[in-house]
Amino acid sequence: MSATEGFKRHGDHSYVAQFAESEKEVLLNLCEQIIELLAERTDHGHDDPLAAMVGITSHDSPPEDEVLHRLLPNAYADQVDASEFRRYTEATLRQKKQAHAISMRIHLKTAEDGTVNLDHDNANAWLGAINDIRLALGVRLKVASNSQDELELLAPDDPLRGVYAVYTWLGWLQETLLDALIDDAVDDEESQLGSS
Amino acid sequence: MVKTADKIEEEIRAIFSGDTPWVTIVWDDPVNLQTYVVYVFMELFGYSKARATELMLKVHNEGKAIVSTGSREEMEHDVARLHEYGLWATLQRGDQL
Repeated sequence: MSATEGFKRHGDHSYVAQFAESEKEVLLNLCEQIIELLAERTDHGHDDPLAAMVGITSHDSPPEDEVLHRLLPNAYADQVDASEFRRYTEATLRQKKQAHAISMRIHLKTAEDGTVNLDHDNANAWLGAINDIRLALGVRLKVASNSQDELELLAPDDPLRGVYAVYTWLGWLQETLLDALIDDAVDDEESQLGSS
Repeated sequence: MVKTADKIEEEIRAIFSGDTPWVTIVWDDPVNLQTYVVYVFMELFGYSKARATELMLKVHNEGKAIVSTGSREEMEHDVARLHEYGLWATLQRGDQL
């Protein structure tokens, strides 16, 4: 799963990667799963259309699904404060996460010869989307309790073995994009120091 | 005793004037890459790479770190942005740490 060399920085604020068809399909599939998962959490039978319009949701308790819970966590340890905050902000958070995954999907769908060229904002959307996918896979893999060694020693017929391979590949891909972005940011830091 | 009463009075004044600082805390998470956490701190808070790295290591080694302080509204904004990027963050009053 590493036909691509990952992301490379092309000049300032431009990040390019080329994906094989199979890689593109895996990424598209994962984007779609995240988009669908977040859509499952939409409000059912909202009583107040005006409230819905301004982003107030009927949800004031965290999602029962473990993955959704990790993607939409509590902002306060205190349950009352957490519920209140969730009612006013969860819909926006869901929309932003969906927007990241949709942005990634559009780039992949429109990539000619598998080449993706991102500017700074697109790159941030990709990072967020890749991270949400990794968080989701991480919950399924129970990375909090399973050590890296345990995960690497999964039996060949264990369905989680494939999940773990995708999880580590995404981590590597994200790292290549991060290296390019940080390299760029450090150049900006240095030029600001130089000019002041 | 006088000192204590003064302190309480000071705290009450701070609460009503809205001066009590709130803090945003980022918690360690086994999934997020270290480089990713550094980048998110740089990007969201405008921290230098050195400062962002220091904070990331604090999260990693101590399980959590305060990444920003300010009013409750400002911290709610910071937590929302950290959640957007998948970091595990909460806010709380600075005097209840």
